[in-house]
Amino acid sequence: MSSTTDTAARLRRLLAILAWLAQEGEAPIDRAAAQFDLSPEALVTELELAACCGVPPYTPDQLMEIVVTEDTVSVQVGTALARPRRLGPAEGFALAASARALLAVPGSDEGGALSRALAKLDRALGADSVAVELDTPVFLPLVREALEAGGALAVSYYSASTDRTTDRVIVPVRLFGAEGHWYVDAHCRSAGGVRRFRVDRIGAARLVPRPATGDGPESAPGTGGHPGGGPPDTARATDDAFAPFVPGPDSRKVRLSLPPSSAGSVENLPTAGPAEVVDGRVEIELFVGGDAWLERLLLQLGPDARVVRPPEYRRLAADAAQRILRRYRAAGAS
Amino acid sequence: MTAVQRLDRLERVTDLLLVLLDAPRPLSLREIASRVPGYPDSHGARRQAFERDKRLLRDEGVPVLVVPIGGEDQLGYRVDPDSYYLPDLGLEPEEQAALNLAVAGVHLGEPIGRDALAKLGAGSESPLGSVTLPQVDLRSVDTLPALPAVFEAVRQAASAHFVYRGERRDVDVAGLRFRNGYWYVIGFDRDRAGARTFRVDRIEGPPELDGPRSAQVPPDFDVDGAFARDPWQFGGGEEVEVDVLVDGVEAGRVVAELGPDAVVGHRGDDGVVVRLSVTDPDALVVWVLGLLDHAEVIGPDPVRTLVTDRLEAVVAAAPDGPGGP
Repeated sequence: MSSTTDTAARLRRLLAILAWLAQEGEAPIDRAAAQFDLSPEALVTELELAACCGVPPYTPDQLMEIVVTEDTVSVQVGTALARPRRLGPAEGFALAASARALLAVPGSDEGGALSRALAKLDRALGADSVAVELDTPVFLPLVREALEAGGALAVSYYSASTDRTTDRVIVPVRLFGAEGHWYVDAHCRSAGGVRRFRVDRIGAARLVPRPATGDGPESAPGTGGHPGGGPPDTARATDDAFAPFVPGPDSRKVRLSLPPSSAGSVENLPTAGPAEVVDGRVEIELFVGGDAWLERLLLQLGPDARVVRPPEYRRLAADAAQRILRRYRAAGAS
Repeated sequence: MTAVQRLDRLERVTDLLLVLLDAPRPLSLREIASRVPGYPDSHGARRQAFERDKRLLRDEGVPVLVVPIGGEDQLGYRVDPDSYYLPDLGLEPEEQAALNLAVAGVHLGEPIGRDALAKLGAGSESPLGSVTLPQVDLRSVDTLPALPAVFEAVRQAASAHFVYRGERRDVDVAGLRFRNGYWYVIGFDRDRAGARTFRVDRIEGPPELDGPRSAQVPPDFDVDGAFARDPWQFGGGEEVEVDVLVDGVEAGRVVAELGPDAVVGHRGDDGVVVRLSVTDPDALVVWVLGLLDHAEVIGPDPVRTLVTDRLEAVVAAAPDGPGGP
């Protein structure tokens, strides 16, 4: 069956080349080959094959009008198979959702070309009942400005994993949206490396002169939300690229025991290994960047969730619960 | 298999596609074999080779029609150009470039977006280059198998049938929303005779769709009004208004998440009181506990008691001292 797979992939590529050439009109062979990751010879072979295809009686109007010269390739407008094909459901969805997501990024469509493209796409697809909401934290524009200028920001940052607010100077290196929130990977002088910060937890920010970079880019990164964890400088191509939390050398491993009904709620957490079933309960090992993060998780999971180890965390949830209960009993708030 | 034979196969399949697209009426296999070079002479082998090519084309999304015809061959085949070609989108070059950027910058479960662009003639090179647009990760198509079907239901205004939390649901689909990291489908639930919101990642198995325009959504149905935007709006319970005090540490983020309309009062320097409309109090309790010491339910009392009961249960379940049993 490898021949079927191979033929299918080549057909798909051939149709993509024809559609691209129909847009371009004429293109240098080298450029066309690079577009489709082919050698110039392989590109010419595929196009010469296609040029011989047609419908009997093979009069010129029934052949595909593909012209291969010494340096260029071209295809006639209107040639069969060069017009765009209908999109499958997943493809239509991918285009409509991508365009909407980018439109939800402030300042991403200043010329309006994307909105116009989306309107045309919606007309063809009937997809106007799809919407993408991204949060728009107050300091997002400033973070982008610093990123584009290679500048630094003095920020006040609330870390959810330690439940503390700290002042830092950061140099943003990458901004991305994931799980509905914006994150910025930034070089942080006080943390001594790249950390991942959630933009909506920045409580104050202003542009400041970039700190002297005697230490340069560092290779021991961590997340701002969870000190001790962090993405590599070039997280783009890795699995960590869009993870809100990446465990680092300072993260602690904590083993939890959960009733099977809760196992689904921890699916998206940074686990250190596969879940195991022990005495009818599910045990998982998590990377934990700070006590407050674990308190939050345990209170949300409820009384049936238990810490197996380390032992000093076994009363963490109860102590947090007692602390919060004192607030309710004081009844001063209402 | 030799290189020569593989070459033949692509040529034969391309010819077949051209012939089927060109056919004004369904063609029998015999007619196809007379127009497309490369099919074996013997009837059995020819049928087998043709069926393999037909499957290949269909797997590539080519809508090959099979139609009963008279005569010895019984079945005819063609591809309707209207269902093969996309109507001309009329994209200007800068509009095409903007779409390319969107697909490159949004992480959805590649390469599906690139495949779509290739059909539009966008080539395969990433247009990102030195562009500094931020990237966005939307839960990807490949981890949410129900998503394309739900999108198709929205697009075709079709009713959908699926299993959700163990129950079969029959829904006239009206809209699709991405919020806080999740995809939601909003529609009119026939059995419950009301608007409902479903999280797409909780749909079990592939949804079944009825035909285009089979959805009977009430004419005054407002997708955004019907969208249960937050987890505590998902329950089927009676709606109750709950006031939550949020201190200055989390107030900014909470107000950004809920919208300024939720704020009904201010406390101290930066604290706010938000009022939430709740049909699933347990889900609200989970959200409030996620704010640790920075939030407190101030009323009504039954919901406040839900929080304290839960906290007391956590205290009671804990071992007596550090390192206890």
